[in-house]
This record gives sequence, C-alpha cells and structure tokens, in this order.
Amino acid sequence: MTPRKPLLEALVAMLTPEDVLVSCLGANSRYLPHLAVSAPVFALCDSMGAAIPLALGMALQRPDRHVIALEGDGSLLMCPNVLATVAAARPSNLTALLWVNGHYESSGGQRLPAAPVEWPALATGFGITNVERVRDVPSLRTAFPRARAAKKPALLVVDVAFDPNEPIPPYSERPDEIRARFRIP
Amino acid sequence: MSGAQRIVDGLEAAGVTLAASVPDTWIGKLMATVRESTKIRSVDAAREEEAVAIACGAALAGGRGAVLIQNAGLFNCGGVLAGLVDLYRIPCFFIVSYRGDGRDPVYYHEPKGRVTEPTLSAWRLPFAIADRTADLTSQVARGVERAVDSRGPCVLLISGEDLA
Repeated sequence: MTPRKPLLEALVAMLTPEDVLVSCLGANSRYLPHLAVSAPVFALCDSMGAAIPLALGMALQRPDRHVIALEGDGSLLMCPNVLATVAAARPSNLTALLWVNGHYESSGGQRLPAAPVEWPALATGFGITNVERVRDVPSLRTAFPRARAAKKPALLVVDVAFDPNEPIPPYSERPDEIRARFRIP
Repeated sequence: MSGAQRIVDGLEAAGVTLAASVPDTWIGKLMATVRESTKIRSVDAAREEEAVAIACGAALAGGRGAVLIQNAGLFNCGGVLAGLVDLYRIPCFFIVSYRGDGRDPVYYHEPKGRVTEPTLSAWRLPFAIADRTADLTSQVARGVERAVDSRGPCVLLISGEDLA
C-alpha cells in the first residue's frame, strides 16, 4: 500500500491557483506547510469531520473555484451523513479525497471500529455518483483530473498505508495564522 | 408582513449569502421563507455540525453564513463551535428555535428549554431572544453584524409565535 506523503505530493503537484484546498486535521494538515501548494489552503487542526462541509460552504460561495477537501476515514465515520448533504447540494466544483488507513492516526494510531466499511458503496448509496478508488500515485494522477473536470461532486477513496513510525512533522502553523493567510482571490 | 419575512429581511439586509439548516417545525417554516430569497443560498444539512461548517465555509470564501437549527441541534455543536468557529475566529450567526420555553405548547421539549440558556452561557455564546414586538428585522441584522464584528458566534433564539 502507498504511503501518504507521495500521494499528497502528487495531489499538490496537480493543484493550481484556481483551486482551494481544505485539509482535515492530522497528517495532511501537518505535511502541507512543508509543501509548495499553489492553491489557498485552509488546514484544520481540530474538529473531526468538518473538512467536507467546510469545503462545501466554500464551493457554494465561490462557484468559480474548485474546492478540494481532504478527509480521513475516522473523521468521516463520525458523520457519513455529510455525503447526503453534498449529494443534495450538488456542487459542480467539489472533490473530496477520503484517506483510508483504518486508524485514528493523529490520536495515537488506534484502530477504527473493525467494521468492513465499503466507502465507495456507502458514498454511492448516499447519492454521490462520481466515486473512484485510488490505490497508488499513478491512479491518483488520472483520477483527480477526471474528478475535477466532472462538473459534479466527486469522491476519491484513497487507500493509504498506515505506518505508526511515519515521521509526520508537528503542526507548524497556528489557527490564527492559517485564518489570517487564507484568502480566495 | 409575517415574522418569518421580517427575519429573512434582516438576513438579507445584513448581507447573508448562505443559510444552512436542519429543520424542526418552526425552523422548517422559516426556511420556507428563506427559500424564496433570491439573495440567500439555502442548504439542507443532514446534521447540525455540518450546517455550522458549511456556514463557516461560506464566510471564509467571502460571504456571510447563517445556521438555522433547533436548540437540540445546537447542543450537538459544542465540538465544532470550539474547534472551528472559536479556534479560527469565524463569524457564524445562528437562528435557533427555543423549544421548551414557556411559550412552547409541546410538553416533551421542556427538558431542552430548561438547559438552553444555561448551555449558551456556559459555552460563552452571545445570544438574544427575539422580540417580535420590536424591530425584528433590525434585531436579526444586528446579530449578523455582531458575529462579523466579533469574528465569532452569535445566537438569536426564536419561538414559533415569532414567525407569525
């Protein structure tokens, strides 16, 4: 299974200044300040489950931008209902990437409840019709442009390796700094 | 003019661009009027924490967001209020149906009514109770502006009779 960092780097390399990136708490938010991201970034350090609805609000407010939400499987398991909300709102400019590693990585690596969640089927059941499973960097490089061009909400279910010894950098930006810097031109 | 229309007029006057909602009987009636607005995008959320994040997203993207929910739904929102609205200092105006206060005819809402104002106070949420005998439109607009000026939450509690 592919580690997180090359997947995140591949995604970031595909972003443009016309995109907006919203990151869930945890490893993604902690890596992003160390990457050259050409899009505005709003990185959460708390509030599990908020990334997708936050991105939805941005997408509806700014239909001229494509908004990309990064969410973890532990977070979405708390509130999968947001998929129904997204499907109902039908934004043409929202792509969510669900990082599936089966663990609460940022809280110590505890396992998620041992339920065999079939995320693509769940999302489809909620009405998200544009769903793809991504298992490596090459498939992300083909799936993401397709999702962004689809003109309907998309979910990419990204299988990512869990490594309890991964050297994830600590948070390096305070929320007030993130908030002050965040602007969608 | 109905109270619901005066509330929506206040939202529009204050520049609200998006209203995210989970309905109860009263909020559902109010949202029916919001949906007639050409200035406010209505978003139906499945749960109240989502509605808060959606409204915050609109605010971060240059608009103004409002959340329309029941008090029971507000009780669900402690985490997102602390970890998103307060932590990142995002304006977020709430209209919350005050179920279980003395004006609510439905008995089973009473427990929620008893803890509503103590919860708002404990969470340090600025709030006001709608006054339909006064200028309700201005009261709503002031609540939105207070949220914007303070870069935080502001709650207006409404009753069913305020919508008439």
